[in-house]
Amino acid sequence: MTIAYNRSSGVDASTQLRGNAFTRAFSGGTLGRNIGMAVLIFILGFLTLYPLSMLLYGSLHSTPPGMAGEFNLAGYRAILTAQNLLVLVNTVGISLAKTIPSLSIAVLLAWIIARTDTPFRGTLEVLITLPFFIPPILTAMAWGMLGNPQVGVINMAWRWLTGAEEPLVNVYSYGGVIWHMCQYSIPFLFLFIVDAFRAMDPSLEESSRMCGASRWSTFRKITLVLMLPVLTSSFMLSFIRGIESFESPLFFGTPAGITVITTEIYESINHRATPDYQYATALSFAILGLMFLLVLWQWSLLRGKSFQTVTGKGFRPNVIELGPWRWVTFGFCVLFFFVTVVLPVGQLLLGSFFRFFGFYTYDMLTLEHYRAVFANSEFWRAMRNTMTLGLLGATATMVLGAIVAYVSVRTKWKGRRLIDVMAWLPWMMPGMVLGVGFLWAFAMLPGPLPIYGTIWALLLAYIALGTPVATRVMTGSYHQLSYDLEECSRVHGATWFQTMWRILVALAWPAFAVGWVLTFFGIMRELSASILLYSVGSEVLSVVLLKLWTNGNAEQVSVIGLMMMLLVILFRWVQLRVIKSRISKL
Amino acid sequence: MASVTLENVSRVYGAVTAVDGVDLKIRSGEFVTLLGPSGCGKTTTLRMVAGLEKNTGGRISIGDNVVSDADSNYFVPSERRRLGMVFQSYAIWPHMTVFDNVAYPLRIRRRPAAEIRERVMGALRLVEMEQYAERPSPALSGGQQQRVAIARALVFEPEVLLLDEPLSNLDARLRTQMGDEFRQLQQRLKITALYVTHDQAEAMALSDRVVVMHGGKILQVGAPEEIYQRPESRQVAAFFGTPNLLAAKVKDCRPNGGAVFKLSVEGQGWSGECHAATEMTKGADVTVMVRPENLQVCEAAKANGGLSWSGEVVQAIFRGSHRSIVVKTPAQKLNVEASSLADVGVGRTVTIAAPPEAAWAVCSE
Repeated sequence: MTIAYNRSSGVDASTQLRGNAFTRAFSGGTLGRNIGMAVLIFILGFLTLYPLSMLLYGSLHSTPPGMAGEFNLAGYRAILTAQNLLVLVNTVGISLAKTIPSLSIAVLLAWIIARTDTPFRGTLEVLITLPFFIPPILTAMAWGMLGNPQVGVINMAWRWLTGAEEPLVNVYSYGGVIWHMCQYSIPFLFLFIVDAFRAMDPSLEESSRMCGASRWSTFRKITLVLMLPVLTSSFMLSFIRGIESFESPLFFGTPAGITVITTEIYESINHRATPDYQYATALSFAILGLMFLLVLWQWSLLRGKSFQTVTGKGFRPNVIELGPWRWVTFGFCVLFFFVTVVLPVGQLLLGSFFRFFGFYTYDMLTLEHYRAVFANSEFWRAMRNTMTLGLLGATATMVLGAIVAYVSVRTKWKGRRLIDVMAWLPWMMPGMVLGVGFLWAFAMLPGPLPIYGTIWALLLAYIALGTPVATRVMTGSYHQLSYDLEECSRVHGATWFQTMWRILVALAWPAFAVGWVLTFFGIMRELSASILLYSVGSEVLSVVLLKLWTNGNAEQVSVIGLMMMLLVILFRWVQLRVIKSRISKL
Repeated sequence: MASVTLENVSRVYGAVTAVDGVDLKIRSGEFVTLLGPSGCGKTTTLRMVAGLEKNTGGRISIGDNVVSDADSNYFVPSERRRLGMVFQSYAIWPHMTVFDNVAYPLRIRRRPAAEIRERVMGALRLVEMEQYAERPSPALSGGQQQRVAIARALVFEPEVLLLDEPLSNLDARLRTQMGDEFRQLQQRLKITALYVTHDQAEAMALSDRVVVMHGGKILQVGAPEEIYQRPESRQVAAFFGTPNLLAAKVKDCRPNGGAVFKLSVEGQGWSGECHAATEMTKGADVTVMVRPENLQVCEAAKANGGLSWSGEVVQAIFRGSHRSIVVKTPAQKLNVEASSLADVGVGRTVTIAAPPEAAWAVCSE
């Protein structure tokens, strides 16, 4: 290599060093940066702050969105009833009642998968986490059929086996609501906890054993205590999710007269002679207050406690040899998979092939439901809408999340804290509440922006709902990339844009893909905001399912449910094959 | 290759002054090391030359071009400064092969493919890594990553090579080997190199000149021997190894040829002759520095113009190449590096002596 270097004349060199105004503006110049920040703040403001403020506006406004009315506190007065106190107790109580058993089972499953020599752990992990990806509306309907007190398969089998008159289970009860929530919560919590078990430095436990502690007291005094921050935060997360939950109380609570806040909001808009928007909006705002308190509590609990155990280093954790007991743990995992996936999917299969749900005799076998669904233009439209929204929504959400995360963790730009908080706001907004907020937001838009009633209304709501997770996924991914990788590229001659594209995007895309699939699943299972924002022509699959179910058409529901299941399995398979199991890096 | 000039360069973060008025001129082809404890501002200085930090005061030039001038708010971003840099973490991009990593600076500059191939292979040959060209970069060991990082920094023939503690992540044996190899390469190619380290041995072995920094300021600039043997201040003296620093008073001072003065000093229970860089007044307080390896153990007092102390051995540790002894003298405890053959056990009374040229006096602060 020769180092002889023909340098251009001094004048040339200095112009080259300065570059042109355009490059300067976008490679860290103040003007380009300010414009970029303004655009980001505007987009995030429209997605989060605007519906939030419209919620406040609507709760004080006496008439439905878009109509002239006056401002009063009637909405807030109306929610202060003894009945609503029961609704609040129901909401909090049900969420608590599902979170505690879910967390215990999730810890047990995570321990089995991460720390024991149970056979086929790799496969079991995929199977255990599968229910997380199944839209809750599907399992809700399947369990509605399985556990129906009169014609449910479980009760029919029970009567046939024992000759009893009374049903064994009735899903239309508190127990049913909690049972259904658990099926989603357990895999959700498992995903959070399993990595904490896995990433723990084994020497921390080994040194406890060396100090004379038994295996069990090591587990209690070291392992669990070290995991406390992870456990607390997953507990809070699951608890908040429980309060936001809509499908379970709608399917199993409403028929039994059990009302929670989300179903109360839904009922007051959809099932009253005249929809009471002010009441619903005031209630939404009230639940936001509750969520805010919970989030504050979560912060104060976790303040100063970092996730020291999760170092990100690839430790080889201590694996406990269970001996013959490993088949018991294996059986437990299989049982979990059987109950949460095989049973409901089996019910959907069964339901789809018989003429009437509940009458399972040979002469009732038919394919007519498949024919009916495939001939149904509404189904195809909903399918198309769901796919379009899923692809567009997931992409847009992830791009937004990637940019917000970049600005908030990788730059020192003014206003980065603001956009970080704005992107995080929907985290404490249940889908139902955001739906109500957007109802008002779209109605209040000036004339030339007819978003309400179109597919774009749903798209915007999905983006808003998905942004916190998207931002979090990308934040985690950026944190793992050292600054040196970017700076090195700059020093060796690449501009800001070139560095972004060749280094950061190239390195962060696996996380982007993981987040994309997560967001896509999120959109596919979304019901609570969709049910408020859809209109004829912009239905999505979950809405069509709910409508068919309400009309008592359980058989066609089964067919559509199976289609969705196929999609879920297909996407999950692609995800596992293409990007490996990086979901747990969430 | 170009020179680098720093004129009164400062960097202030809020109330903290990380770098405080640094003046430094690095000649073309020279290897200069910034040396100091962590937090002394050496890395910040390097990053300001790289354009990764903006200097809040002063002016930086590379060759004849000013690249950053705080007064006129002129700042050339990193990518247009034509530098090569080796990071402490090596910053080898994990999604690229070795070849792609090294080719990056050339591809960014849109060189033709044939030229890229030739120059990348040339650079890889320089660091003896050409057979690894197609390896995915995460599959490299620490030493190999370091070689790739150097090849990448050299491939487009930069004006200046910047190195931020490039050897600190290697084990001791490899560190010495890589350091020596790099020094040879630098001298062969006449690269202007600015090197940051906190390792004094590394700094002395590699550099033409060493810049000792502390608290954001330069304490002393000089050739390694000069810094080591003839420090300008007690702080610089204390920074290298574990020297014996003895308080003393000047009894007499006379020129000794060149810029060196010969002093007669007297401490607590000892006296003798030593050297100093500046003229000292009689009766002035000085600190006399004697390095442990220059002290010799003798059986009886043989004061021959130099310095000597007597005392009891309170600690003796065998280290293979030598024996570390601590001798308790009336003045203070002294560290001595004795021959590993010397038979000195704890409790023995010994006399230790140093020739005048091994004792160096600086002003006491």
